[in-house]
Amino acid sequence: MSAHISIVDLVKHYGPTRAVDGISLEVRRGEIFGLLGANGAGKTTTLECLTGLRRPDSGELRIAGHDPVREPRAACERVGAALQRSELPDRLTPREALGLFGSFFSRRAEPGRLLSRFKLTEHADAPYRALSGGQRQRLALALAFVNEPEVVLLDEPAAGLDPQAREELHALLLEVRAAGQTVLLSTHDLGEAEKLCDRVAVIHRGRLVATGTPADLRPAGARRTQWIRLRVQPDVHHDQLGRLAGVRSVQREGLGWVLESTEVPASMMALGALLVGMRAEVLELQTAAPTLLQAYLGLTQEVEERPAS
Amino acid sequence: MKGWWTHAVISLRLHFRNRLALVYGYVFPLLYLAVCWVIYRHESVPLARHCGEFLTIGILGGACFGLPTTLVSERERGLWRRYRLTPAPSWTLLTGTALVRYLVLLGAGLVQLVVARLTGVPWPVDPVGLLLAFTCAAFAFIGLGLVIAMLADNVTAVQALGQCVFLPMLVIGGVAVPLSALPEWAGQVSFFSPGRYSVEAIQSAITGTELSARAFAEIMLVVNGVAGVTAASLLFRWDVGEAGAGVRRGWAGLVMVSWLAIGWLALEGEFGFRPAPAEPVAARRFASWQKIGAADVARVDFDLPPDTGVVTPIAVEDDVPDGDLAEELQVMHSRLADWAPRRGPVPLQAVRNLLCVAAVSDVLQQPVERHVPAIILQTLRESYPKAQLIKMLTWIALHPEEGSVIRSLDDLGIPGEVGDETELRQRMRVYATKFVVRLTGRPH
Repeated sequence: MSAHISIVDLVKHYGPTRAVDGISLEVRRGEIFGLLGANGAGKTTTLECLTGLRRPDSGELRIAGHDPVREPRAACERVGAALQRSELPDRLTPREALGLFGSFFSRRAEPGRLLSRFKLTEHADAPYRALSGGQRQRLALALAFVNEPEVVLLDEPAAGLDPQAREELHALLLEVRAAGQTVLLSTHDLGEAEKLCDRVAVIHRGRLVATGTPADLRPAGARRTQWIRLRVQPDVHHDQLGRLAGVRSVQREGLGWVLESTEVPASMMALGALLVGMRAEVLELQTAAPTLLQAYLGLTQEVEERPAS
Repeated sequence: MKGWWTHAVISLRLHFRNRLALVYGYVFPLLYLAVCWVIYRHESVPLARHCGEFLTIGILGGACFGLPTTLVSERERGLWRRYRLTPAPSWTLLTGTALVRYLVLLGAGLVQLVVARLTGVPWPVDPVGLLLAFTCAAFAFIGLGLVIAMLADNVTAVQALGQCVFLPMLVIGGVAVPLSALPEWAGQVSFFSPGRYSVEAIQSAITGTELSARAFAEIMLVVNGVAGVTAASLLFRWDVGEAGAGVRRGWAGLVMVSWLAIGWLALEGEFGFRPAPAEPVAARRFASWQKIGAADVARVDFDLPPDTGVVTPIAVEDDVPDGDLAEELQVMHSRLADWAPRRGPVPLQAVRNLLCVAAVSDVLQQPVERHVPAIILQTLRESYPKAQLIKMLTWIALHPEEGSVIRSLDDLGIPGEVGDETELRQRMRVYATKFVVRLTGRPH
């Protein structure tokens, strides 16, 4: 697949602060690509440079075949975006908003269809101030699609949404991908990235730490590691758990324990024998595979520990 | 032009949905009008000579507060960031917003004129000229409002910057305080203020002078408008934190340069331009007082304050003065016989001087004030034929701003001095009209 978004050595300063420090990455046509990072990592600045809202200090940008710095109008025609810090006038209705923003583009989606697609038909003529947070967010997303874009840039699209609205958003983004549109989204919700994104890039303090599929990013050793979460009555001792077969580490979590095991079946058998011997009552017992969260924490910790060059 | 029309239409629609904006846009200008009416209620047609003032205050308020407040609050909410994500150029948004503001100002001006008409102000003599003058003034102040919007980071800053422009222009810029009431230095300063040219252009169009008489004022307003719009486009920023915005603030100096340039042109008169003074209603009709006929006299506005009121009182026949009052009047009457100003070479000025005696007594609220007019009317009757006197009094009633006035009557035994010449001339006009009523037997 060809690159639909290309960023090469992007650098952006805010005064003395180097917000983006030489990021390079490519997003392929038709994929959902996630930018992961903590607040202030440089995700939003990267997106704002791609939309033309910020002028990079250096670096090359291409989006949907255009340079957003040198050809901003042409790039705008092919790109849709929903960024943070962007409200609409209190008395503007969703129908008017879609009509207004659509009128600026050569190619535009029919407002009625967008209202239906983003479940806003019932509120089409309600003033913006009367919309709930979720409805406002859906309207912001609808506005990103008002020009039938080839590429969609979304900055924390699920921020402020309730769980149901979040699920609806995820379903919508998967539909978008199925329709062949490219999505670049920023998020610090790693579960969301893991669920939606074909590939992710981890950004930390303005630098690109890693790029790949969520599975690729997990360290090789971690792919075999699982967590066992345990709570029993009466409680067991830390050392008893640490001696179990396959257990690499034991940590206290609330009233229970979390065991890190590289051989889960052996660890579970040993744990069962221990508990039967103690005549202990099992209150909670779960196993879980390591998530992108652990990968992310590992990667960023690695960068922190690296000596400054 | 893609989206320009839609943006303008929706902006206008949003304006009319905002009750607060309607109050500020339409009710506040009526308050200015009401204030002017209260101040000038004793003039023959209370607001006719002050339309330029209240219309200018309305434009200034709408353009220097309403417009930038709208733009800055939109930018604060991030609406402009969203516009930035579209192919729409900045001028699409600025011109659309400016057009909407112009229409709002025009609407507010029309409402003011209609309400003024209900109080007795005649329709403008030159409506097309008025539209032109109004448009020039709106253009100048909208340009200024755009610059304020580009300089201000938030709505609070708009209020601060707006006041910096609004208040000086009202007080020493020739907008709210008449130039005749200002000290000389302030009158000179007012030449640098677009407010002065706005008042003069609009008032001239309402009272019907030729375009050439107000062309200078209108050209100056257009110059200010071009400077404002140019500076605003150079200062434009989609977001408060936009890079380089601080450095570009210097472009606001363009507006100051345009103000200095128009002031210099007006004061130096290098190009032969001089702002035309506002003339009263119907001033153009007569070339001289000798040509005034009965039909013209009938057209004078005879809506006068009552003789028994505080302003321009005239004693009734059975109200005979006694004691010190009678003595004081006797002294004045005897001195009046040899009073030089009543025997000057120009009859019209001599009549004006005699009217000053009644007007000064009235303004200074002398105990003899209600008895003096009767003495003055008697003196006038003794001095001039009735027909000639009616013509001269009618002329003065229609042209109170002409000729010189006498502010102090010490030589007639009346102490004190009148400070406000405008007020004095208005009282003279009322007495002249009241005398015309008595001489013609016209009911009022």
